[in-house]
Amino acid sequence: MSEIEHLTRRCEREKRARKQAEALLEQKSLDLYKLNQELAQLAADLAEREGLMRSILEAVGDGIFGVDENGCTTFINPVGAKMLGWTPEEIIGCNHHQMVHHTKLDGSPYPAHECPIYSAFKDGKVNYEDGELFWRADGSSFPVEYVSTPLYKHGELKGAVITFSDIAERKSHEKEQNMLEIQLRHAQKLESIGQLAAGIAHEINTPTQFVSDNTRFLHESFEDLGQFIEACNHLLEAAGKAPVSAGQLGKVKELSEEIDLDYLLEEIPKAISQSQDGLKRISKIVRAMKEFSHPGTEEKTPIDINVAIQSTIDVSRNEWKYHANMVTDLDPDLPLVPCIPGEFNQVILNTIVNGAHAIADIAGDSPEEMGTITIRTCWEGDWAKVTISDTGTGIPESVRARIFDPFFTTKEVGKGTGQGLAIVYSAVVDKHSGRLDVESEIGKGTTFTIRLPLYSKTEGQQSG
Amino acid sequence: MKKRILFVDDEQNLLDGLRRALRGQRKEWDMAFVLSGCEALELARKEHFDAVVCDMRMPGMDGIELLNNLASLQPDLIRIVLSGHSDRSMDMHSAVLTHQYLAKPCDIEILKAVLTRALHLRDALTNERLQSLVTGMSFLPSLPAIYKELTERMQSPNATIREIGDILAKDPAMTAAILKMVNSAFFGIGRHVSSPTEAATLLGMNMLKALALSVGIFSQFNASQFKVEDFSIDTLWRHSQAVAALAKQIAQAEGCEKEFIENCLVAGLLHDIGILVLAENVPDDFIRCNRLMTEEGMDRYSAEHEIFGATHGMVGAYLLGLWGLDDQVVDAVAFHQCPTEAQHPTLSPLAIVYIAGALDKAESDQDLTAPESPLDAHYLQTVGLKADRLEHWRALQIEADEALEQ
Repeated sequence: MSEIEHLTRRCEREKRARKQAEALLEQKSLDLYKLNQELAQLAADLAEREGLMRSILEAVGDGIFGVDENGCTTFINPVGAKMLGWTPEEIIGCNHHQMVHHTKLDGSPYPAHECPIYSAFKDGKVNYEDGELFWRADGSSFPVEYVSTPLYKHGELKGAVITFSDIAERKSHEKEQNMLEIQLRHAQKLESIGQLAAGIAHEINTPTQFVSDNTRFLHESFEDLGQFIEACNHLLEAAGKAPVSAGQLGKVKELSEEIDLDYLLEEIPKAISQSQDGLKRISKIVRAMKEFSHPGTEEKTPIDINVAIQSTIDVSRNEWKYHANMVTDLDPDLPLVPCIPGEFNQVILNTIVNGAHAIADIAGDSPEEMGTITIRTCWEGDWAKVTISDTGTGIPESVRARIFDPFFTTKEVGKGTGQGLAIVYSAVVDKHSGRLDVESEIGKGTTFTIRLPLYSKTEGQQSG
Repeated sequence: MKKRILFVDDEQNLLDGLRRALRGQRKEWDMAFVLSGCEALELARKEHFDAVVCDMRMPGMDGIELLNNLASLQPDLIRIVLSGHSDRSMDMHSAVLTHQYLAKPCDIEILKAVLTRALHLRDALTNERLQSLVTGMSFLPSLPAIYKELTERMQSPNATIREIGDILAKDPAMTAAILKMVNSAFFGIGRHVSSPTEAATLLGMNMLKALALSVGIFSQFNASQFKVEDFSIDTLWRHSQAVAALAKQIAQAEGCEKEFIENCLVAGLLHDIGILVLAENVPDDFIRCNRLMTEEGMDRYSAEHEIFGATHGMVGAYLLGLWGLDDQVVDAVAFHQCPTEAQHPTLSPLAIVYIAGALDKAESDQDLTAPESPLDAHYLQTVGLKADRLEHWRALQIEADEALEQ
């Protein structure tokens, strides 16, 4: 092998190697170019995505912000910043809790460790809160609803994202609706109180009339008797001195006839006892009125519902007495029942009035026939049961499902607000966690069964 | 003869109380006490009563139904309600059907006075036919023009209560009806009201509308059914309004008190209401009566006595007394033709209405309202008015006339 040959071969080899290298370089350049292209695309994609994210953040109506693991705001969308009255630049980097969440609804300071947002990025829980306050830059506040979601990075908790909205309007709507409902209930109560007052006035007016008539009679009778006693005394005096003459006796006898002594002696005791009855009736109704009205007690207190039922029957007498007889069968062994007394009385009153109206409707043609309202109480395990039956028209199947709806009424306009039974339902079921059942047969009558729990359950089980 | 009075209430104790408290009346009144409307009707079918006092709300037959039945059974029965319900939710027709509506508890002296007065006024109207006629009346006709004005005004959304009151005050029939209503315990005003404009204010627009348009306490004078020729309701109304205005002026000039002045005004407006009752309900007798005046030259007082045995003053007084108007007004209406017949001559609305009536009649050439006699100077002296005030009153009359024409 000669040197040349050797060199030539080497040269050939070098050439090949170079070609290979060039090819490789070309290949690598191409790869690089491609990579570059991809990178540019990726950057563009990213930019686009970020733009999208931003416009989403800007477009949503809710406020959205992020906090890092120290509770400092990392970002906030303009809506959120606007709601809080700051610019995003002012907020970002500041401690969120100290800036907008520092004080509770009741005005007391809100410690950060109690804050549900804080717990989101400490223990990784998703939290939903409704009705807390956020504070604005100008020192005013607004009620919020927010969701705080923990944010992870490489499996590690790095903060949280919070979305929130201003619920002031919703709250005021709710408040308005509540107010409306309260006003309506109040109106119904006033209506029934107004009606009751007229009835009670009648119940008092009648005995007042005959008590004062009797008193007038007693006054006049006493004058007559006084005259007679005086004549008798004269006679006695005269008899002590001399024998009494027939003329003297006759005079006294004449007087006794003139004043109608026998009648007076018969009527005076009756006038007194009827007056006493009248006064008893007046004091009974006044007492019942006091018991019925129960001012102020809005909380459950254990009461003897038999007494409450009797008072309600007494005050509403004028509502039913022209159409119905009242029969009661009240279980004397019934323990005290935890009740809101005013609400319970209202339930009994509305049911009685409802029954009296049903009876008046059926009696329309033959008013001489009286119906019957029967009220029973009994002890049924953990429940106190009250049944109120009437012998009225009964409730048609077609409307039975709706009788407890507010505003549902079968009466003509002006004859009731349609609130009576709705109030019964809300008082029994919502306020007392009780049960309300109704059985009815057309032409026979209706029975309402009310069951009230004897033992208070925990607050949580009662709907507000 | 003893008066027979029927008491109806569903409460025995109440009846017993009334029976005992009214025992002092046992020499004048024969009293029956029953527990239900059915019993009351049964009794009324067999016996005649002069007055009934009944409860409104009773089981079975209620007061309204009972009074309706009794009114058709015995038209001359005086109907008084003694009710524990003074609330306005009761049927308003009961207020129309009743002569007087009293509220429980009612002082027995008031009940006694109401009954005594009604019975007394009825006796004063000696003619039995007229007694039944007046007792059975629920409405008085109004002047059609005023009636039309009232209903139109009431239907206007911007009518004021003041305007309505002023319209009522122009019409004697409306004035009487509205005063009956407002003074009834049914509305529970609680004090005596004698001015129709005040009555309108107290009742309020809604109540007035209900009374006028649905209950119909006012009615229209129907000229086409009216049989008496030469009778103009317009002239009668003009005279009533003139006397009312003049009576008020005179009372003011004599320095009387406000309530007295109001009574003069109302009595002036209502003093000839009896003429309307007679002309509308017994036209034949009314025509005969007029003939006595025009053909035989009798004065109205004598002619009425000849035909009816009573004066139109007594007819009006009985009606207004039944309706519970003020005693002063009733007296003035009763005796405005013959003031000397009244008991206790004093300066009263009677004296003032008498003067005003005479002055207006002197001016009027209408036969119906021709002067009965010149002013009785002796009577004026008895009540403490000086005849030399006459010129002054005449001047007032000219003023009042002018005011009325406007």
